[in-house]
Amino acid sequence: MSGIFPELKVSKLMERNIVFLQEDASINDVLDLFEKHHFHLFPVINDEGNLVGVIDQDIILEILLFHRIPRVKHTHLAAVRSLGSDVKGIMVTHPVTISPDTDLNEAADLMLKHRVNNVCVVENRKLVGVLTKHDIINEVIKRKRSV
Amino acid sequence: MEILLQIFLILFLAKVLGEVIERAGFPGILGEISAGVIVGFVLLRPDIEILSFLAELGAVFLLFTAGYREVHLKELRTATKKALIPTVIQIIFVFYLGFLVARVFGFGLLESLFMGVAFSPTSIGVTVKTLIDLDYLSSRVGSMILSSAILDDIIGIFMLSVFATFATLNQLPSILHILIITGKLVLFILIMFLLGWKIYPVIFNYIHRMHVKESIFSFVVMIALLSAYLATLFGLHSVIGAFIGGLLLSNIPFAKIEGVQDKVSGLAYGILVPFFFAFIGLSIDTGTLITGYFTVFVVATAIIGKLVGGFIGSRIVGFGNYDSLFFGAGMIPRAEVGLVILAVGKSAGIVSIEMFSAIVFMVVSSIIVSPVLLKLVTMMKEKSNKAVL
Repeated sequence: MSGIFPELKVSKLMERNIVFLQEDASINDVLDLFEKHHFHLFPVINDEGNLVGVIDQDIILEILLFHRIPRVKHTHLAAVRSLGSDVKGIMVTHPVTISPDTDLNEAADLMLKHRVNNVCVVENRKLVGVLTKHDIINEVIKRKRSV
Repeated sequence: MEILLQIFLILFLAKVLGEVIERAGFPGILGEISAGVIVGFVLLRPDIEILSFLAELGAVFLLFTAGYREVHLKELRTATKKALIPTVIQIIFVFYLGFLVARVFGFGLLESLFMGVAFSPTSIGVTVKTLIDLDYLSSRVGSMILSSAILDDIIGIFMLSVFATFATLNQLPSILHILIITGKLVLFILIMFLLGWKIYPVIFNYIHRMHVKESIFSFVVMIALLSAYLATLFGLHSVIGAFIGGLLLSNIPFAKIEGVQDKVSGLAYGILVPFFFAFIGLSIDTGTLITGYFTVFVVATAIIGKLVGGFIGSRIVGFGNYDSLFFGAGMIPRAEVGLVILAVGKSAGIVSIEMFSAIVFMVVSSIIVSPVLLKLVTMMKEKSNKAVL
């Protein structure tokens, strides 16, 4: 990947206009958000604006179709989520994050190698953006066309 | 090379029988245990040394994945608030009943304590499916069953850590021994916590940049093995180390990437854990099940213990008669943690083959009986509601 984005930082490409959830929002708020926006993932922040987790489509599908998921997935965690009444109770804690100063080549490697579709960008624990595979694809296409 | 055939046969039967039993509406674990029983009959000379090693790895990865993927300590506070009294009452009740039955049948003190412990943990997976089928998952009592099963899991693992260490001593410890064990456990947790807090996050920041294939997956597996080994250095059982190692990794983002979790789960549930359950089946002595009343008593007391203990506990916190019975019936199934406790006791030479076989039979029975009883209580409740109307 080295050389494709010389000296380009994540901050240049990331989406700054983020749709996010507050950790104490209700499950219905989450469903409304998924209905309104076609994003795969929503970051979750606390009152101080710190990133505390994420909610993705898998979690929502698991909650909506809990009666359909196979018995092997009836784990402790699934039970905890089924009991959850707010975002805090169902979110994935400790998501993968990067800093806005990260080299874009490194971010692209991370997404390619570990099949991560979206990464939250944080600065001093505060959520400042989201970088998606789509952003990187668009940038590569733009550069190829300009050549 | 006959071992390759044995491994193939165990995995094949475990998966095929597991599927048949899942489709019949029961958990696949019953198929995996049955695979072991069948292999015991079919193979004249199973390679016990290699199979028991694979089974031990299975137990290590069963507890590791529990810590790494499934157990949420953060939620324990909510679960405790909701279900502490009924959970503790049913555990004390069933533990004492198990201990008492073993003593009445003339088993030693340590072996009887192991039976009490093996009686205690409830398996959540079995109950959830029935709660969904009966449309009880979101009911007040359904929610309490889930909270109680979460709490029960943690108490079960705590009991496992204490009694598995007793097993390594192979005797009932003196006060001094207990103090030494507690000291070692605290020191071990401190070291593990330090690794998980300061060392692992830094290491994983480098691991994810490595160029070799599957670096993160490989290091997650290494940490499972290292944690299990470190526990044994402290005189604790390997499964406890694996569980704590898993818990520590559950907070590290790179170790929890979805793809890595899937691979760890594939290694555990695709290969190693079926060996653990199949080896349980392979190790039981069907002869001891047929002769004597002990097995009958074990099954009956394990079921009645949870039913009555759960009933009393939920009555105390204000549930009605039917809901309290429902709660008791929901807490009946035993599986993973109970079987690990049993296997630890057996490999340490504390649990005899007679008790081992009877408890495995109890686990199988509890999984089958619980959904039937839950349905029965629901029907009784509906009938009584109609009569009132």
